[in-house]
Amino acid sequence: MAAEPQRGVRLSGNGDTPSRDGNLVEVERLKVYFPIKSGIVLDRHVGDIKAVDDVSFEIHHGETLGLVGESGCGKSTVGRTLLRLYEPTEGRIVFDGKDISELGAEGMRVLRRRMQMVFQDPFASLNPRHSISRIIGEPLRVHGLAGRRAAGRRAADLLEIVGLPKDAASRYPHEFSGGQRQRIGVARALALNPDFIVLDEPVSALDVSIQAQIINLLEELQKEFSLTYLFIAHDLAVVRHISDRIAVMYLGSIVEISPAAELYANPLHPYTISLLSAVPIPDPEVERARKPLLLAGDIPSPANPPSACRFHTRCPFVQPTRCRDDVPELRRLEPGHQVTCHWAEQIKAGEIKPHEVEVVFVEAESASHGWEPPPV
Amino acid sequence: MSVAEIEAVDIQLEGAPSGLWREAWSRLRRNPVAIIGFCLVAFFVLVAILAPLIARYNPNPAHPDLAQVSPGHAPGPSAAHWLGLDLNGRDEWARLIYGTRFSLLIGFVAASSGLSIGLVLGSIAGYAGGLVDTIIMRCMDIMLAIPGLLLAIGIVAMLGPGLWQIMVAVGITNVPIFARLLRGSVLAQRDQDFVLAARAIGVRRRGILFSHILPNAISPVIVQGTLAMATAIIDVAGLGFLGLGPQDPSTPEWGTMLTQVNQYLQSDPLLAIAPGVAIVLAVLGFNLIGDGLREALDPKLRGRV
Repeated sequence: MAAEPQRGVRLSGNGDTPSRDGNLVEVERLKVYFPIKSGIVLDRHVGDIKAVDDVSFEIHHGETLGLVGESGCGKSTVGRTLLRLYEPTEGRIVFDGKDISELGAEGMRVLRRRMQMVFQDPFASLNPRHSISRIIGEPLRVHGLAGRRAAGRRAADLLEIVGLPKDAASRYPHEFSGGQRQRIGVARALALNPDFIVLDEPVSALDVSIQAQIINLLEELQKEFSLTYLFIAHDLAVVRHISDRIAVMYLGSIVEISPAAELYANPLHPYTISLLSAVPIPDPEVERARKPLLLAGDIPSPANPPSACRFHTRCPFVQPTRCRDDVPELRRLEPGHQVTCHWAEQIKAGEIKPHEVEVVFVEAESASHGWEPPPV
Repeated sequence: MSVAEIEAVDIQLEGAPSGLWREAWSRLRRNPVAIIGFCLVAFFVLVAILAPLIARYNPNPAHPDLAQVSPGHAPGPSAAHWLGLDLNGRDEWARLIYGTRFSLLIGFVAASSGLSIGLVLGSIAGYAGGLVDTIIMRCMDIMLAIPGLLLAIGIVAMLGPGLWQIMVAVGITNVPIFARLLRGSVLAQRDQDFVLAARAIGVRRRGILFSHILPNAISPVIVQGTLAMATAIIDVAGLGFLGLGPQDPSTPEWGTMLTQVNQYLQSDPLLAIAPGVAIVLAVLGFNLIGDGLREALDPKLRGRV
């Protein structure tokens, strides 16, 4: 393959440029369960951690889908399962029109040239014993796209693209700061010229000042190499900045998907409403006047999630009917705006007012046995 | 000019690039204790290599000087025989020098065979996991439940006494130690993000094990390896002392040399002290290197040179 890259020019043989309309990634009713085992010599299967339970969404060509949620809600699991780093328990993952959920190891290996990942922890995601040029060149070498020499040259070019000096190539990860390492992680993900990159909380471990640099870098690269992103984060402000559309996850399921601006202006799901009400507003008068909608209690265990609507144990808008016995489907309320709540219209119209915290206590008691903090 | 390029101007790197191994090496070089260990071991290795030049006599002469020796009495040091003659009329110095060859060889073969088998079993158990892991590790547990020297004696009893048999026995007793150590190390590395990253890139399973997991899991094994050399020398000497060593009395092996004089400690203490000191110094050398390596390879000291 061509070793000298030109900015903005696609390098590897990924075929014709994908059309900008249509979906690059489609996820249908994805479930990822991790078995809970116990026993000393022989493992018994005693239950499942329902990390991802019935999640469906699609990512269009060239867009950034933000995926937000509390830690332990399964957002990273979704990202990793899209790349088949975790095996899906049920459901379909379609990448560029091809079902990859049943693809064998070698088929998946070939496909990895088109889908890459940037990890959260830049300290743990680089092999401490490998030099930077080896780390960045490795994707090319394992796919047989370049020899040692060519991979080294390409690594140097990639370093320049992500804003690191060329002489970083011969160094080792421990010689770099967090932000610099994250740039190295981005360079590694770019090495194969992928179409799709899962960004798994790429800035959560970084200083706020560095976060902006990395976000800007990611946006630049997206424009230049027409990338499609799945951007996973727990920080609403960061996601808002970079995303075209945002999906909000709670306890293994998606509660709301909407265009980014629409979500912040017009949140429909009670969970999103309370999340947004917790974001501080940089105006002391407004801040003093408004009353944030506080969520009581912790996120329930995904090993034993609440019945029906998973949010009903903490929902300030919970109703006596439907919430506890009728599983809500993701339904379209407005163009491009989907929500998983029976009462979204009434809440939006102001017909249902938020309750006080007592609701949570009642629910926590009735389902208390077997609830533990998420083990993962 | 992109944002990335503008920011790149701020990024400066200092000093020469350094890998982890290189850093560990430079830390090791500055550790006086490790240097002493290295010197001791280098000394014994030199002695073993240059034995014919230093020994001055044949350790197994065709015609031993029996005239000077009577039961319970061997002549002490003299200008001709630096450490005197042993009870069979052979030059003690020559036997000690040639004994270095045997003792080092036995220690090395025993430790490295234990290390390599343990390495294979440990990485299979750690990387494969599940039933394979359970089967391998329960076998290792059974072996660990028996005290090392007892297990070695048992194996020698099965195989019969002799040089190779001792090496095999001491090697086998080392296997579960290395297997356990490496399995733990592999397990700790297996779930690291960089291993997941390697999978995301498309590295094959074998590549992940050999180029990502093992290089990061190996340092405690290296430390244990040098320490195992030391214990192997002691174990071999111990087995030799128990009479399970080389049956040919002409083999100059330190443990066997000790055994041969154990009834004459009062009359000829030097014949026991000489191989005893040699054993102590060799073991000390390997132990010091092991401790130095442990400190040099400690990830907590990373960056400090």
